[in-house]
Amino acid sequence: MTVTLMKTPAETAYTDAFNPQGALADVRKSAFAQFAETGLPHRRMEDWKWTDLRQLISRALPPVSGTTASADAIDALIAGSPFGDVARARLVFVDGAYDEPRSSLPATGDVEFTSLGSDVLPGWISDKLVAGSTDPIAALNLAYMSDGAGLRFRAGSGMDAPIELLFVTTAETNATYTTRNVIVLEEGASATLIETHIGGSGEYLHNSVTQLHVGDNARLDRVKVQEEGLEAIHLSNSDIHLAGKAYLKDFTLTIGGHATRQQGFVTFEGEHTESYVSGAFLLTGKQHNDTRLVIDHAVPNCKSRELFKCVMDQAARGIFQGKAIVRRDAQKTDGNQSSHALLLSDESEFDAKPELEIYADDVVCGHGATSGDLDDNQLFYLRARGISETEAKSMLIGAFAAEAFDDVASDAIRTVLSGLAEGWLARRKAA
Amino acid sequence: MLEIKNLHVSLEEEDKQIINGLDLTINAGEVNAIMGPNGSGKSTLSYVLAGRPGYVVTEGSITYKGQDLLEMAIDERAAAGVFLAFQYPIEIPGVATMQFLKVALNSQRKARGEDEMTTPDFMRLVRDKAAKLNVTTDMLKRPVNVGFSGGEKKRAEILQMAVLEPSLCVLDETDSGLDIDALRLVAEGVNALRSPERAMLVITHYQRLLDYIVPDKVHVMSDGKIVKSGGKELALELEKDGYAAYAA
Repeated sequence: MTVTLMKTPAETAYTDAFNPQGALADVRKSAFAQFAETGLPHRRMEDWKWTDLRQLISRALPPVSGTTASADAIDALIAGSPFGDVARARLVFVDGAYDEPRSSLPATGDVEFTSLGSDVLPGWISDKLVAGSTDPIAALNLAYMSDGAGLRFRAGSGMDAPIELLFVTTAETNATYTTRNVIVLEEGASATLIETHIGGSGEYLHNSVTQLHVGDNARLDRVKVQEEGLEAIHLSNSDIHLAGKAYLKDFTLTIGGHATRQQGFVTFEGEHTESYVSGAFLLTGKQHNDTRLVIDHAVPNCKSRELFKCVMDQAARGIFQGKAIVRRDAQKTDGNQSSHALLLSDESEFDAKPELEIYADDVVCGHGATSGDLDDNQLFYLRARGISETEAKSMLIGAFAAEAFDDVASDAIRTVLSGLAEGWLARRKAA
Repeated sequence: MLEIKNLHVSLEEEDKQIINGLDLTINAGEVNAIMGPNGSGKSTLSYVLAGRPGYVVTEGSITYKGQDLLEMAIDERAAAGVFLAFQYPIEIPGVATMQFLKVALNSQRKARGEDEMTTPDFMRLVRDKAAKLNVTTDMLKRPVNVGFSGGEKKRAEILQMAVLEPSLCVLDETDSGLDIDALRLVAEGVNALRSPERAMLVITHYQRLLDYIVPDKVHVMSDGKIVKSGGKELALELEKDGYAAYAA
């Protein structure tokens, strides 16, 4: 056991509970050792200066898995997923454990599923569960991950019917739930993946990692919706590896959670690959969302786009940290990122930190960030046509956020996202 | 229909008086034109009628259909039949023109205690009116005024007017930026809306528009008030002699 000076009750709880068993015990030990080097990230770490987990996680939230909630409580939460009519297959995880009876597997043989909670994992999963992440939260995740989806889409297969990974946290226990997904698209495969996070009211922490490996000529459309409970802390890492001529569209909508830190790491490993990462935040109350993206152009001739539209009402705070790295060999890189914030109250806040690290000379890269409130001229125009002030504001906020999901390929999923935004606006109007 | 008495308006942001004791009466069925040099306060008058924030009425009154217009909120004025066709229509990215029109129409109907119009009825109404103004289906699908040419924006304004069927139409420099064909099309759209129950206030710098929308009365505005009123022949005089005689 690594001995490091740990300070907070939460860190002590993570240390005390650590007792790895089974085939992954050694991997977990080295992952935990990595976490222990820094402990919970805090504001003196540059990438975490806006999100001090030592302060945010003020009490012990010991890691657990498996639920104590009643079947009715679980079913009620599952019914809250907006994708019930859209997903063709659904893998349900309740309080960090696979819930087989509530899941429906993809009917086709083109996709292989293994629960990461299984005692024995196939090589294509275990190969990818290696310590070495420099991110302490991802390391903590590997040390404690209890379950999640392993999905392999076979070469050349076309699974365009969406598969939903539904993570339900009942919040019956004040605890940390740790899940991890390993998604592999083999050469030429295509898939549409939905990741939904739903939670009950109550204090809990969900540490979620999704590893995505998109093969040569493969295409992945991924949509994540985060509607955790309003006392929840949601920490997530997406670790995305793109091979040659691969294509990624990734969209995240954040509505829930008291505090969210989501990180995305996209690495281009093959040429002529395109990555579109976008997202929207709809935050109110004292919600906090810190989104950090690192786009690593390690090879030439790739294209990356990032677009985030962030709406903050009341005392909510949004943060967007976007970094693009263009390595020395990555000539002809075409990269652009932008974040736009809509601040609906005087107390709301938005911070943007765009960073470009460019080591190649023949590249086109740009970034932009804007923030402001609703446009008075637009508001006047709508009202001059008879639309009430409340309705006009809703229309403008909805239109602002929708720009980020205009890009989602599936009409059905886009309709669900619009519905979620409308629901948020309706709650705002009613408040 | 509209009675403006001794209107004084200044800007909220700076201590500057724009309208200085303006009197104007507009009756149902009439087309009134206001002409005047730049900076005479024509556009300010149109904004004050529509209720745009940023203007302060320091004195005087505006009575519309017997009601105190200045007491009404922007959207209440619209529901009561006041329509301003903007000189520079505002672009609204992310809101489709068709959706905007439907929300506008039904908001007004709701405010007046009428039933909302069903989608099929609404579609039929808009298609019919749009065809006459040469507003394409593609334009209706696009976000409000986004990517529209100058002429398309003005045609879209007139389409909104045709769909919303207001009682008082205020047209602020509707001719600006239009070539002669577009001007003719827009004027035809406006003329089609002339009726004994409806009044129009056409604000323009040039007489040209009034060849196509022939007014019943013409008023000359200078330094924030009406300095001369007359029949349609007054517009021709102005075209010939210019505004020099009315300079402040």
